[in-house]
Amino acid sequence: MFKKLLVVSLFLFTSLVLIGCTDKTGEAITLEFWHNYSASDGQVAVLETLIDEFEAENENVTIHPVYMEWQALKDSVALGANTGVLPDILRGDIAFVPQFQSLNVLLKVSDFDDYETAAAKVLTAPNSSNKMGTDYYGIASNTNTKILFYNKTLLQNAGVSVPTTLDQVWTASQTLTTGGKIGYVEPWTGIWNVGPYIWSNGGDVLAPDYSTATGYINSSIVVDVITTLKNLYAAGALAGPSMDPGAVGDTDGWASGLYAMQLDGPWRAASNNAANVNYEAIPLPAGSAGSVSVLGGENFMLFKTSAVAKQEAAWEFVKFMTDKHAQVEMAKVGQMPVNIEALADAEAIAAMPLLPVFATALATAKARPVIASWSEIENVIATKVALAITGQKDVQVAMDECATEINAILAD
Amino acid sequence: MITIADKIIKKTKRRLDWRALVIFLPGFLFVFIFTFYPMAKMLVMSFFDWKIGFNQVSPFVGFKNYIDVLSDPIARLSIVNTFAYAFVTVPLQIVIGLLVAVLINGIVKGSVGFRLGYYFPVISSWVVVALLFRYIFSNFGLLNYFLVDILHLSSEPIGWLSSRWSALFAAMMLGVWKGVGWNMVVFLAALQAVPKDQYEAADIDGANRIQKFFMITLPNIRGTMLFVIIMLSIGAFNTYTPITVLTGGNPAHQTEVVLTWMYFKTFNAFKMGYSAAFSVIVAIIIILITITLFSLSKWKRRD
Repeated sequence: MFKKLLVVSLFLFTSLVLIGCTDKTGEAITLEFWHNYSASDGQVAVLETLIDEFEAENENVTIHPVYMEWQALKDSVALGANTGVLPDILRGDIAFVPQFQSLNVLLKVSDFDDYETAAAKVLTAPNSSNKMGTDYYGIASNTNTKILFYNKTLLQNAGVSVPTTLDQVWTASQTLTTGGKIGYVEPWTGIWNVGPYIWSNGGDVLAPDYSTATGYINSSIVVDVITTLKNLYAAGALAGPSMDPGAVGDTDGWASGLYAMQLDGPWRAASNNAANVNYEAIPLPAGSAGSVSVLGGENFMLFKTSAVAKQEAAWEFVKFMTDKHAQVEMAKVGQMPVNIEALADAEAIAAMPLLPVFATALATAKARPVIASWSEIENVIATKVALAITGQKDVQVAMDECATEINAILAD
Repeated sequence: MITIADKIIKKTKRRLDWRALVIFLPGFLFVFIFTFYPMAKMLVMSFFDWKIGFNQVSPFVGFKNYIDVLSDPIARLSIVNTFAYAFVTVPLQIVIGLLVAVLINGIVKGSVGFRLGYYFPVISSWVVVALLFRYIFSNFGLLNYFLVDILHLSSEPIGWLSSRWSALFAAMMLGVWKGVGWNMVVFLAALQAVPKDQYEAADIDGANRIQKFFMITLPNIRGTMLFVIIMLSIGAFNTYTPITVLTGGNPAHQTEVVLTWMYFKTFNAFKMGYSAAFSVIVAIIIILITITLFSLSKWKRRD
C-alpha cells in the first residue's frame, strides 16, 4: 500500500513539475540576452530604454540583459556549448557567427517565415556576415568599417597635406615621424588591420572558394604591402603593441598627441572627442585597386538550445532592435545603423557627424571570410605578419609559411 | 553476555566511524569533484579531438594531440620560456627572501614595519602590479625616462618589452619583486624555529656570522627550503598574469609561457584536445622536477 502511494505521489509530483516547466505562448517568458553594448558610451542606458519599450509592447516577455566584454562573450558561449548554459539572444562581433556555428549552437534564423522581410530592411553587405552556405545564422545589429583618422595639428606642424593615395599615406607617415611623434599606429597585424592595404592593392587572403591560401596570402602584392609596413616599422614610423608590446596603446597615443594617423572604426571618434584631439577622418585613400576597407560590426544571434516559444519571442525582439526606431536611438550613442531607413535619418546623421564618411567607406568595404576556422587562420596571419614586419623573418619566407599553415587548417 | 547483535554493532562502529565520515566527506567530495574528476577528464580529453559544441561527437585520435604539441614550435618556445622564468625567479626569490628574513630576524625594533613593507607586493593584485610594471618598462616608461632623460645612458628609448628576452626579463623582475615577501614570511617562521642553543654553542666555539649561517641556519631550514623550492617551481609553471598583461605573448608569440599558450589554444582556437595534452605534458614536467628535488634532498641528507 505504502509503495503504491509513493509511486502515485511521485508520478503526480513529476507531472506537475513538467507542466510547470512548459513554455506556452501567452505565458511569462524571460529571455537571457548577452551583449557587449558599451556602458561608458551610454549604449547600455539606451538599450535599457529600448527593452522597456519592447516589454511594454509584449507584456509576457521579460528581457534580462547581461553585459560581457568581447573575450568573455566568446569564452562563455564556448563553455555554454558544453554545459548548456547559453543565452536566448546574443549580440556580438560578426566574426563570432562562423565560430559559434562550428560549435553547433546557433539557430538557423533564415528558417523564420519573415526572415527575408526583416533582412530586406538592413544593408546586404553587413548581413552577409551571417551567411554560411545558403543559410543565415543571425541578422546584422550594427555595422562599422575603418576610415583614416589623422591628427590635424600634427599634419599642420609637419607641413603634410592630407594624403589622397595609399602610397601618400606611407610617405606622410615617414614625414610625420619627427620630434618624438610617430606617423602611423596599427594595434594588431591580423586581416582586420592589414587586410584593407592588401585589398586596396588588388591582393587577397584566400581563394574566393576558400580552398587555398597559396598564391593569395603569399602573392607578390601581399609581400609588397608587408615590406612597405616593415620599412615603416624599421624607420620608427609605424608602431603598435602587437609588434612591440612596449609601444604606447593607440587610445593613449592619440590622447597624448603621439600618433598622427590610424585606420580605425567609429570608436576612435568617440575616444578622440573625449580626449579633445584635433582630428579629421577620410575614407582610406585608394591603392592601385581602389579603396577597400574592412567590414566590422555586430550581429544578433539566436540559439537552438532555447525552447521554441523563447526562440520566437527572441526573434520578435531582434526584429524590434533592427527596426528603424531602435537603430536611430542606437546611432545617437555611436552605433552605426544597418537599417537602411535609419542610415538616412536626419537625427542619426546629426548624432554621428562622420556617418557620411563611413557610408562612403562601407560602399566598398569587404568582409573577412565567413568560415569556422577563420579565427585560427587570422591568428596565423597575425603571427607571421608580425614576424615579417619586425624583421625577425624574411617577408616572402614568412608569407610562404603562412600559406602552408593556412592550407593545413583549411584541409583539417 | 555478548550477543551476536552486539558484535555486529561493534564491528560496524569500527568500520564506519560516522563522525569521521562527516568530517571527511565534504572535503573529499570537494577535492574529488573539483580536482580529481577534472584531472581524469582532462587525461581522457587529451586522447580525443575534443569538440565542445552542442551535441558534437569527439573522435578518438590517440597520441595525435601529444605529437601536435611536441611538434608545435610555439609550444616548445613557451616551455623554454617557462623554464627560463623558473631558473631565474626561483633562486632569486629564495636568496633575496632568505636574506631579508635573516636581516629582519636580527633586528629588535621595527621588524613589523619591514615585514609589512616586504609583504605588501604579495597581497597586491597581480593585474595592478603587472600594469605598473608595464608602465615602468614600456618605450616611454619610467625606466627609459631615467636611462635616457635623467642619466643619459642611452640616446634612444630601449624597447624592453619589444623583444623576447628583455620582455621576459621584465616579467621575471615582476615575479621576483612580488614573490620575495612570501619567501621572507616562510623563512622567518623557519628561522625562529632554529634552536637558540646551537648558536650559543657556536658563539662559545668562536664562529663568525657567516659560519653560523652556513653551518647552523641553513642545515636547520633545509626542510623549509625544499618546500619553498617545490612551491616556487610549481608557481613558475603557473605564471600567467605577468605575461598576459606585460606583453600578451607578443611580439608574434615570442614571449608565450605554457599557460598563456594553453589559454590561447583553448579559447581562441577551441583546441581542447591539444590543450589537454599540453597540460598533461606540463604536469609530467612538474612531477619530474618535484621527484628530482626530493631525491636530491635525500641524497644530500645521506651525505
